[in-house]
Amino acid sequence: MPIFKSLSCGMVLRLGSAITGLLCLSPLYAAEKTAIEKSAAVKEGASVFRANCSPCHGLNARGGGRGPDLTSGRWTHGSSDAAIFRTISQGVPGTEMPANALEDSEIRAIISFLRSLSPPKNPVAMGDSTQGREIFNGKAGCADCHMVLGHGGVLGPDLSRVGASRSVAYLIDSIRQPNKDLSTGITDPNNHYGLALVYDTVTVVNADGTKLTGVAKNEDTYSVQLISTDQKLHLLLKKDVREVTHERRSLMPPYSEDALDGPQLQNLIAYLETLRGEDNANMPSRGLHTGGTKEAK
Amino acid sequence: MKRALLLALFFGAALSQAQVTYERLQSAANEPQNWLTYSGRYSGWRYSTLDQISTNNASHLAMQWTFQVADLGQFETTPLVVDGVLYGTGQNDRAFAIDARTGRPIWRYQRSLPEKLQPCCGMVNRGMAILGDRLFVATLDAHVIALDTKSGNVLWDVTAADYHKAYTFTVAPLVVKNEVIVGISGGEYGVRGFIDAYDAATGRRLWRFETVPGPGEPGHETWKGDSWKTGGAPAWITGTYDPELNLVYWPTGNPAPSNYGGERGGDNLYSNCMLALDADTGKLKWYFQFTPHDLYDYDATQIPILLDAQWEGRPRKLLLQANRNGFLYVLDRTDGKFLSAKPFGKVTWATEIGADGKPVVNASLKTNPEGTRVCPGALGLTNWYAPSYSPDTGLLYVATSTECDLFTSAPQPYRAGHDFLGSVYLPDPVERPTGALKALDALSGAEKWSFPYFSNPNGGALSTAGGVVFAGESDGNFIALDTKTGHDLWHVQLGAAIYSTAITFQVDGKQYVVIPAGAALFAFTLP
Repeated sequence: MPIFKSLSCGMVLRLGSAITGLLCLSPLYAAEKTAIEKSAAVKEGASVFRANCSPCHGLNARGGGRGPDLTSGRWTHGSSDAAIFRTISQGVPGTEMPANALEDSEIRAIISFLRSLSPPKNPVAMGDSTQGREIFNGKAGCADCHMVLGHGGVLGPDLSRVGASRSVAYLIDSIRQPNKDLSTGITDPNNHYGLALVYDTVTVVNADGTKLTGVAKNEDTYSVQLISTDQKLHLLLKKDVREVTHERRSLMPPYSEDALDGPQLQNLIAYLETLRGEDNANMPSRGLHTGGTKEAK
Repeated sequence: MKRALLLALFFGAALSQAQVTYERLQSAANEPQNWLTYSGRYSGWRYSTLDQISTNNASHLAMQWTFQVADLGQFETTPLVVDGVLYGTGQNDRAFAIDARTGRPIWRYQRSLPEKLQPCCGMVNRGMAILGDRLFVATLDAHVIALDTKSGNVLWDVTAADYHKAYTFTVAPLVVKNEVIVGISGGEYGVRGFIDAYDAATGRRLWRFETVPGPGEPGHETWKGDSWKTGGAPAWITGTYDPELNLVYWPTGNPAPSNYGGERGGDNLYSNCMLALDADTGKLKWYFQFTPHDLYDYDATQIPILLDAQWEGRPRKLLLQANRNGFLYVLDRTDGKFLSAKPFGKVTWATEIGADGKPVVNASLKTNPEGTRVCPGALGLTNWYAPSYSPDTGLLYVATSTECDLFTSAPQPYRAGHDFLGSVYLPDPVERPTGALKALDALSGAEKWSFPYFSNPNGGALSTAGGVVFAGESDGNFIALDTKTGHDLWHVQLGAAIYSTAITFQVDGKQYVVIPAGAALFAFTLP
């Protein structure tokens, strides 16, 4: 069998062997050959994905702190092989998805790998997005800190396309346990190996002992650019303050079941899922999936 | 006729003044107005006896000129300066000569590179070497070229390896006698590493040392099966040289695949080694392996520092290396004998280095597909950026990182020209990494002071007789500190991460300090 793997069907036929010729013509053989090739492509794709994509999309492609779940079946930038190929090779301008200088065969292998993955067992959005939007802007107070399509606060990350860039599981974690995986902030293109700042709580003790609490838009050894909880921007030199402390926890409060029960959470997630960078937030929708898990109830 | 003779003598004298001889390279420390080799001198100290800029006046430093190379990115060059002319390289294999007083260009060179190149970590180049009226550059498409110092014209161009298989050069060459010595990159692609020497006059290859031994060669038994064929062990940082011993000290990088060792059982010689090679023949005199059977990408590609000092009561020729694996090593450079190794930051992969020089590996850390947290991270406690040794303080200045990583590990099939990593490492999600410039006692490794950086660094250190150590941060700050105390003397924000290390020189009685950042060189002087 191994020798057949290294010979094309045409080559085998030219050998003139009736047996091998029959093998080549056999649908069974063709199916087996296709399966072998597919398996090899999936295996290679898994390696290439792991090395190049997993830092953002997670080791299992189920989404990470910077990239969406690629097993959800929802492809914001096109679901055909050609569209996914384009997304990988050219990136998505205006998002964190970069262009990737991979061989065509490697990209095709990644697509094979992604197609091979099981449907997600993630909690899914099955709520009512219209009610979710009301929760976002009302009871939950999300809009006080988060901007959506130009409206809202500036303390937290802009959520205008969060539905396209984060998995449902990540969104639920971000609401129930905001400290679990802090969102990243500014990414400096001139700082290739540098890690982006995260949205953690920063406390500055001024020279007079007063305190400022907020998030750092940027920081280096000598200065910090802070947005305080009253959403004012403070440009501070470290030599002028006593202390700058990163608490490695989010400023956002955790929304427990008491604050946001299961159905309300589902509605909120359904609304966040509609946020894809376009002004479609007014479009009520039902979740794509039914049969949500315990976490989504 | 007499006039013609006088003219000939005049121009001959002018030309000879511009010639950089091997003798001048050997005594580079005696002409601090110039910067003649990658590390400033063969011993790798990156130290200058210039003292016009000092602890008393560094706070007055001001920009004198900038020079734009046009390509934004990781600007990793160490320029050379010879008699008022500065020579440098830029991203995408650019090269240039500029007036060191004004920053005005004299010539520019841009290599025509093929489309498909596979440098792991950017289209970078770390600089040139010079001999006579020739500059030598090792290129991303795995060629070595000689450029004319006055015009930038190509004098010779030789192929060292096949770039289609991801062999690339990023290293600044080292000139020894009539040889141009270079080491290959490509450890992330499963190349078989080597160190080459070329005839400076013709480009003819004089010798090659394969850093992964082939069948029948000593060390071949340290590779399981055919894994040696794709074993990596690149040699991508410029070595140092002891003229008296006639030994070139050249460090090597990781075995491939870097994060999975299941199919390359053994110590994997000569990955992560210090090699002592006979300068004339390239024959191995001795080796010392820092991280056998590496699983964490701990390239030993840090500049070896050569120092003659008292060790345990007797004078000894030492070699120091602050290694990416987190230990500061002291070796006897005559024979490679291990003398000591002390951690200079947080290390978890090994509990200590034993008396035999071998690491006592932390048995509780088992790599797996989901990830194991290990310190230092894949970028190391330090990395390729230059350390500096000051004979005035006896201190070694080392830029360090606190980053730990989650190392995931999984088998990966080899494909020529494709990355060959054996999975991926992920930054520690728990702690944001920071960095520091540390001053270590060169012999004991004891920390004398530490200047904290907000982020982990990509730039190294330069120390001077003025008592100043210059360093560059990833956040774009170029900093001057007191060599004795670490006291912050001055800084300036350059607007891009600093990926290199400063040099200093003097023209017309004025001391300059030059640092690359982003797409530009920045020159500072006193007002």
